[in-house]
Amino acid sequence: MKRNFLMFFTAISTVAITLFIVGFFLIIVYDVQSVLTSIKSQVEVAVYLKDNITDELKGYLENEIKGWDEVAEVTYVSKDQALEKFKKDNEGSEILKEIQGNPLPASFEIELTSPEKVEQIALRFVDKDGNFIEGVDEVIYGQNYVQKLFSITAIAGSIAFLIIIMLLLAAIVLVFNTIRLSIHARRKEIEVMKLVGATNWFVRIPFLFEGFFEGFVGSLISVILLYFMSNYLLIRGEKAIVDTMHVKELAILGTNNVILYIYAGIVVLGGLVGLLSSSFALKRYIRV
Amino acid sequence: MNMIEFRNVTKIYEDKTAALKNVSLTIKKGEFVFLVGPSGSGKSTMIKLLIREIPVSGGAVFVAGRNICNLKQSRIPQLRRNIGSVFQDFKLLPNKTVFENVAFAFEVIGKPTYIIKLQVPQVLKLVGLEHKLQSYPHQLSAGEQQRVSIARAFVNRPPILLADEPTGNLDPVTSDGIMKLLSRINLIGTTVAMATHDKNIVNSMRRRVIELEEGEIIRDQKRGVYGI
Repeated sequence: MKRNFLMFFTAISTVAITLFIVGFFLIIVYDVQSVLTSIKSQVEVAVYLKDNITDELKGYLENEIKGWDEVAEVTYVSKDQALEKFKKDNEGSEILKEIQGNPLPASFEIELTSPEKVEQIALRFVDKDGNFIEGVDEVIYGQNYVQKLFSITAIAGSIAFLIIIMLLLAAIVLVFNTIRLSIHARRKEIEVMKLVGATNWFVRIPFLFEGFFEGFVGSLISVILLYFMSNYLLIRGEKAIVDTMHVKELAILGTNNVILYIYAGIVVLGGLVGLLSSSFALKRYIRV
Repeated sequence: MNMIEFRNVTKIYEDKTAALKNVSLTIKKGEFVFLVGPSGSGKSTMIKLLIREIPVSGGAVFVAGRNICNLKQSRIPQLRRNIGSVFQDFKLLPNKTVFENVAFAFEVIGKPTYIIKLQVPQVLKLVGLEHKLQSYPHQLSAGEQQRVSIARAFVNRPPILLADEPTGNLDPVTSDGIMKLLSRINLIGTTVAMATHDKNIVNSMRRRVIELEEGEIIRDQKRGVYGI
């Protein structure tokens, strides 16, 4: 093995580099998806009520909304609560001094189970003439922005998926070719082994072991690189995302330990690709 | 007893060239046979058929009475362990020492280390290389390299030794040495078949000569010479 060090080294570094890129990209894609999902889940419908709405009508509306399948939660915000929240959000601002009385309306804040249905929900507050139904003053859900957001997340999702598949394929092809080359470099050895009566398995096993070992060690190295990358670089980005956008499920900081699954996946993938590459590459040389 | 038998053997390669046409011959145990003829006459094809490197297109090849044409893939290693092969280009592994190259043939068939340590030096002594155990092939002369390859072919004491132009790369004096070695191996009962172009060697040895031309046997002569 020591005499084949160069081929050995090439195979290991190929595995390490390609799987590192795959892993790095996986983390980024996961985080971007998390941010997008979080933004999507923040989509909600605010139904502002007229000041003169009767308690009866209000209660009827609330029950009605609660009965819809797409609705996750309905919160009633009274005029007082709205004012309080407004004051809290704008603490120390000049604007507070200019407010007299309570100009803010009461509202229902509706969170949805499927944010994509936001428009349909909003339309239920409009009658067939295009006016808001009785007691409702306005319905707000960020009409234009929501539609764009959804089409962007859909496109981003499929692009990310495609890129990951391409990267994986590239990694597999590269590793396969490297291992194939290292076997090709030793075809004479295989030929001689076969000539002196070695069984196919006798020839195969050391190569399979070597392929597995190269894949395994290479993927371990890529995991170590990823680990340092995550702990010293990516984690800062994630902290910033958590601080500014309150996104919870990120690859490194999340409670799901996604990063550990990525590490484990890379090691399994590395070993498997090494083993299978050797096995396929050998087929050509073993028939002497 | 017939050690080797070709019964109406035809070999047509994928590119449609007929390397052997309906060839029949028998070689008895302990014989020394030269296969002669110009390049492309089918000598090497016969050797490749014997170690099942290639399959026959028609007819049958027998080794020690067994038809090797319908041998299962998994039984081919067993066949090759009973046939030593020597080639023009030696087929030594450049990154292994002389000792390791010969020991390789033992390791492959799973012999224990103590037997390897005992028998490899013995066979290297037989070929006159007992002082070069730790040399690498590139440190040896061509004749010495061929001796190593003969040692490797013979270390298992196979009943058959096939040699495909073993002196093709060697000068006449060195070739003589190789022939003496093959004769000795033959004398202890090994059946030897050797394909060669070397007129002088064939003429000086006076052994059985089988001459091939375009895939057919045109002469089979006891104690023959290379050609007329």
